Amino acid sequence: MSVLAEVFAELFSMFAGDARLSLGALAVVALAAAAAWFAAPLVAAAVLLLGSLAVLVVNVMLAAWRQT
Amino acid sequence: MLEWSTAAPAISSAFLASLVEVVEALTIVLAVVALRGWRPAITGTIAALGTLAAIVLALGPLLDRIPLHVLQIVIGILLLLFGLGWLRKATLRAAGIMALHDEDAIFAREKAELGAEVARHQASRDWIAGMTAYKAVLLEGLEVVFIVIAVGAGRGLLIPASAGALAACLAVLAIGVVVHRPLSKVPENTLKFAVGVMLSTFGVFWTGEGLGVDWPGGDLALLGIGLLFLATAALSAMSARRLAGAAA
Repeated sequence: MSVLAEVFAELFSMFAGDARLSLGALAVVALAAAAAWFAAPLVAAAVLLLGSLAVLVVNVMLAAWRQT
Repeated sequence: MLEWSTAAPAISSAFLASLVEVVEALTIVLAVVALRGWRPAITGTIAALGTLAAIVLALGPLLDRIPLHVLQIVIGILLLLFGLGWLRKATLRAAGIMALHDEDAIFAREKAELGAEVARHQASRDWIAGMTAYKAVLLEGLEVVFIVIAVGAGRGLLIPASAGALAACLAVLAIGVVVHRPLSKVPENTLKFAVGVMLSTFGVFWTGEGLGVDWPGGDLALLGIGLLFLATAALSAMSARRLAGAAA
């Protein structure tokens, strides 16, 4: 039973180890999906790429700031 | 016909990611060997590999039934979450904000924990040791299985990606058997940084394709996206180090 629990905990941490990062990435995907639907696919591509980079930068800088 | 512009990133991602995971599993298996010998370590490892094989055999036929664009978007999002997680950790470690992964320290800790656990359960020492090896190989192996499926399934590259992962397993096992100690010299954070960049790149690329994006340059866009992730993560690491250093 504990092995199963550990497997599920591992699976969860694989994709949502840092809740802010995961929520940020999912929000970017949702924005990109909206852009693909209402605007153009290339706008969605830009939102997806730049948004993902922004989520990474903000998350890393917040971690550094919390360290100070 | 195998397209190398697509296959090479998939194979190298599977190889490098598996290298990291197998090194981590090997550290724990070697702790089991040091305490209880090869028998429970090998039994636990073989049982875990059997479980992983069963998972792959169960998931494989299901993947063929899922429409490609659905597969791309689901796997793309999972890869993006997984890849950004690795890249975040590797960036924070490169910036000195998070402690580096130390295989020697993990080996010593696992050995001490397992020793204490074994001492508490006199009658089932080999069972506990075998279960420790089983859990280590299963949990690290799950990540390998996910990466192989994620980088391989969207483009029919499951076999090349599996070959990349298998090559990493064999390389680490061969070195591990020869040196018989944790592979602490492996530049794990550099590998994690590179793999984080690759997985995030695939994540963005496939999520985009799933959303109907026709990437400029086709598969070559992977290179451009990867370079952007690499540059951004490297700059973030430098800025974070400066910010943390300025406050110290």
